[in-house]
Amino acid sequence: MLNTIKKVGAGVTALTLSTTLALANPYEEYAGETLVVNFPAHPHFDAVMKVLPEFTKETGIRVEVDQLQYLKMREKQTLELTKNKGDYDLIAYVVFSKADYVYADQLENLAKYFMNPKLADPGYDAGDLIDGYVGNIGVAGGRKGYLPGPTGSLFGIPFGSETSILGYRQDIFDKHGLEVPTNYEELLDVACKIPELEPGMGGLASRAASGHHASHAFLLHLAPLGGRIFDDNWNPIVNNEAGVKAAEALKTIVDCGAEGAETFGFAEAGASFLQGNSAMFLDSTVFAGQVNNPSKSKVVGKVAWAPHPVGTRAGSQTGGFGIGIPGNAQNKDAAFLLMQWLTSKNADKMIAIAGGNPSRFSTHADPEVLAVHPHLKVFGEALKNADPDWRPIIPVWGKINADIGTSLSKVLTEDADIQEALDGVAARARDIMEGAGYYTWN
Amino acid sequence: MSAVARANRLTPYMFLAPATVVLVFALLYPIGYMVYASFLDWSPSQRIGEADFIGLRNYANLLTDAAFLESFWVTIKFAAVVVTLEMIIGVGLALLLDRNIRGMSLLRTIFILPMMIAPIVVGLMWRYMYHPTVGIFNRTIKNLGFEQGIPWLSDSTWSFIAVVIADVWQWTPFIFILALAAMQSLPRSALEAAEIDGANEWQKIVLIKIPLMMPVLIVTLLLRLIDAFKVLEVIMVLTNGGPGLSTEIVALRIFRTAQEFQELGEAAAMSNLLLIMLMALTIGMFMYTKIQEARTARMLKAAQAEDE
Repeated sequence: MLNTIKKVGAGVTALTLSTTLALANPYEEYAGETLVVNFPAHPHFDAVMKVLPEFTKETGIRVEVDQLQYLKMREKQTLELTKNKGDYDLIAYVVFSKADYVYADQLENLAKYFMNPKLADPGYDAGDLIDGYVGNIGVAGGRKGYLPGPTGSLFGIPFGSETSILGYRQDIFDKHGLEVPTNYEELLDVACKIPELEPGMGGLASRAASGHHASHAFLLHLAPLGGRIFDDNWNPIVNNEAGVKAAEALKTIVDCGAEGAETFGFAEAGASFLQGNSAMFLDSTVFAGQVNNPSKSKVVGKVAWAPHPVGTRAGSQTGGFGIGIPGNAQNKDAAFLLMQWLTSKNADKMIAIAGGNPSRFSTHADPEVLAVHPHLKVFGEALKNADPDWRPIIPVWGKINADIGTSLSKVLTEDADIQEALDGVAARARDIMEGAGYYTWN
Repeated sequence: MSAVARANRLTPYMFLAPATVVLVFALLYPIGYMVYASFLDWSPSQRIGEADFIGLRNYANLLTDAAFLESFWVTIKFAAVVVTLEMIIGVGLALLLDRNIRGMSLLRTIFILPMMIAPIVVGLMWRYMYHPTVGIFNRTIKNLGFEQGIPWLSDSTWSFIAVVIADVWQWTPFIFILALAAMQSLPRSALEAAEIDGANEWQKIVLIKIPLMMPVLIVTLLLRLIDAFKVLEVIMVLTNGGPGLSTEIVALRIFRTAQEFQELGEAAAMSNLLLIMLMALTIGMFMYTKIQEARTARMLKAAQAEDE
């Protein structure tokens, strides 16, 4: 009898222990499930693909990745998100999709997941996420509708986000005793000195091609030089003094750039720097991965990095990707667990080592990460000034962006008057905003 | 009418019915869908049923949209220039090569190679050839001793010329091949009669060959015009419409409106305007052909009457 009691007791204890252990594993309930995720073909997500098997090993949740070229991904998501039951459990999206998806109620508000004790990891440390990125790509509904604020909510988490950084040829700077520019005056001065010191070499490789590229390059200078496209009441102010200064800065950079700089897109500007035809490069951090790749670069080991120079304020761009859960996803809780895991300190570190863009301050200071990618230390410094409002994230932005790009292209290639060009942009932007209802309450 | 007679009368329609149904769905449904979409304020994030009906507002907006009107003008300019050049060079080449030369079939194959290449590839190829420093054109210009190359893609006039050259290079073979086929099917008797009457080579071309080839040339011209109005990929890759809007043709504007601006209703309205313009052009060309044919018939009849 005593033996029987002991056996039953031992059984119950074992069961209790196993139940306790089971409850201690938040992933167990979802083990064996398969999540379908949609990622773009992009260096960050290539690094993610190397790390993803760790998630399955740790949690038992399988992940099927539909990795598509960026434009294809956007098209596919547009169709997927309007279905009653979607195929994707987790999606990567660019910052402009945030405006469209949140407005169409197609992304899950993440509050309920972070409130769920069974799902939310207490050690997640959301405060370590780069706040400029979170504000830019994760939050909507606050200030201006697309920024954080008292009424804002979290719809996504930055994942593969990017900021702007200055890459420069250390060897050229050392050879001529040039100081690394820390402000715009110095930047423009050095950019135009280099073609004199190194004939045939451009100063700073910048995007300038008509359309999105010219607009992007202009916006890159607009925020640090104190400008914005709109004031807080949506009045276009792109044509004020700061706007003119930013356009002048871009024109100077292109005029002192490599031959044909007016036609450069992101790829051409990058190639100009990698081929040794330009001494500086000021654009997205995603470019850094190519600099020391001998199959793509002739400047291996010759490049150093510095934060985006300061104008009247410090402000580097924010962009790239975030991840969110579609409103029509089939496995939302498990998708949240994957999202939380991918953006955790540990995974962020693994992805950074594999060549991805970290989303956390701690990763940028991690000795193991810095041993592999020393430049991330400077990137971490630059990210303290990441500006989530360097360009508006509103549904009508595409049209305004294209107009800025074509107007500035005329400035860069046909010497159109800067003030006139920006006045035209401001007038057309006002019409577009009016049509979209932004002055309803004025 | 007996039942058999009635059935016989309906038989042809019954045979035609499946094809008609397929045609209606395959051809008219998408066009109807596009027409309907042009009356909507529709973003890709919405199902079409959720979009607001705004009547003719998209069309009204387009008529005051400076960028769209400019793209329309660029398209007309582009189509007129490329089709004229292609017709002149294509027909000229056909006239030049309409003879029995050794290796002629190889030559013809080489001539038609450009039109077999995907437009995206053509765009990329020309983009690298126009490259300011490593492109073959500017390298050659500099090797010849000139200090500055041509700003192929960074000047509005040169950009337009650059896209025209690329299009003419790719599509002249199309004109050439059709013109050559038309020329080789001309009645030899007419040419022999002209020779007997003492016509020289130039007179044979102007008075016999071109007039007899005219119906084929008009159809060829029409096909090229339609294509030139819809060209997209080469320009998208070469200039993406720039600098400014100097090479932004309507097809590119439609693509950007749908893809970048996310305004599907407005893009549909643009497509409809382009469709209307092309239909008017087609009808006009066919009416012109009919008038020409009728005039020729009248002249022949009058000549016959005089002979009698």
